Amino acid sequence: MKGLLKNNLYATLSNAKVFSGVMILFGIFVVAVISQSLQIGYVMIGIIGFSVNAIAITKNDYISKWGKYKLTLPVKRIDIVKSLFLNQMIWLLVGTFFVGIEISLSWLFHGCPFDQAIDVLTMFALGVSMGLFMGAVFFPLFYIGGEEKSEVLLVISLLCAFGIDFAIVSVVNDLLEPGIASIMCGTLILIICSLLAFALSYLLTAKIFKKKEY
Amino acid sequence: MENILELQRVSKTFPKSNFTLENVTFSLPYGAILGFVGENGAGKTTTIGCILNTITKDSGTIKLFGKEMLDADTDIREKIGVVYDGDNFPAYWTATQLSKIMAGLYTQWDSPLFQKYLEDFHLPAKQKMKHYSRGMAMKLAIAVALAHHPQLLILDEATGGLDPVMRDEMLDVFLEFVQEENHSILLSSHITSDLEKVADYITFIHNGRLIMTVSKNITMLLCAARRANSLR
Repeated sequence: MKGLLKNNLYATLSNAKVFSGVMILFGIFVVAVISQSLQIGYVMIGIIGFSVNAIAITKNDYISKWGKYKLTLPVKRIDIVKSLFLNQMIWLLVGTFFVGIEISLSWLFHGCPFDQAIDVLTMFALGVSMGLFMGAVFFPLFYIGGEEKSEVLLVISLLCAFGIDFAIVSVVNDLLEPGIASIMCGTLILIICSLLAFALSYLLTAKIFKKKEY
Repeated sequence: MENILELQRVSKTFPKSNFTLENVTFSLPYGAILGFVGENGAGKTTTIGCILNTITKDSGTIKLFGKEMLDADTDIREKIGVVYDGDNFPAYWTATQLSKIMAGLYTQWDSPLFQKYLEDFHLPAKQKMKHYSRGMAMKLAIAVALAHHPQLLILDEATGGLDPVMRDEMLDVFLEFVQEENHSILLSSHITSDLEKVADYITFIHNGRLIMTVSKNITMLLCAARRANSLR
């Protein structure tokens, strides 16, 4: 398992370095300029961007024979799937931490740019749940559709994540009375739903991958 | 004689390509090298896929170290070294990174031994694999397959990308490997001269069917007889 995680880490790292560089430059701009929409954009791009980097590596295994080779290693197929989901979680946390530093700096210099501090939490929850939904949709589709369709599947999973998140937010807004309690409740529902989808997707992906032939 | 690998009536059908691997039966004894010969599309890679569980066989039994290998049998896979034709590893890795990854996968991974192979095979440890030639990539895959102290090597066209000098060096490495009596090699190759040099047994496969498995000496006798006949 340790080797599989290292494998995913090395694969993600080179793209993540480039992405981090861009995000640092963007971050300097976001800290310098006081803008609520810029901050929302930064948080979303940061969290989702690192997740995209983590997901995109899945294809790399199949450019070479490494995807097939991995099956001959002393690891179970379920561990290969587990390592991909763990990698996605790790980079989701990296993304959250990364944008968290920027938002903290901005807050430090200019104060909270939102009406309520809880809005910042909602913004992070939305980004994290989008990253989780994206992974939940992508991984099973990848093993069904095949590596040659990975780019289009990545776009589909991103769009699905947006769709699911906004559907949940709309339903929660319709059902609950406006107020801090409803924002908290909505945020919690968002996170629980995405974590549940991620866990179910792991089981489904493992089942699909068990039967894959290379 | 005890066998490290045994295939009994292994079959696999691919309905889309209309290819069938039909009742393949052969065995590889401990301490021996078995050459696996056949034209392109004969079923060599499919057979190896069935052995290594990258492909699910339809019927038959495959025993490795006397046991059918399931997905959970990671201990059996610890004892197998594999080399595929072409790029075995992602191009953006270096050999050093590869060693670190393998150390996290094989309990018996031997980093000093891997470094020794890198030096012996003249492979730069810090260079990304995308800058390796095909021959270098094959040598690296062979080094990886050997560096975790396997008992069985499964090589699918592993000598294909090597020049004749390097091929001879690799064949020497394989011969040295089977000096230990509990070590064996299944060597699939198009290059029959390689098999002549190292194989103890040769298995011929054609159109998904096993033609025969014979000892190399018998094969050479048959070839000599055929040549003698053609000279008459």
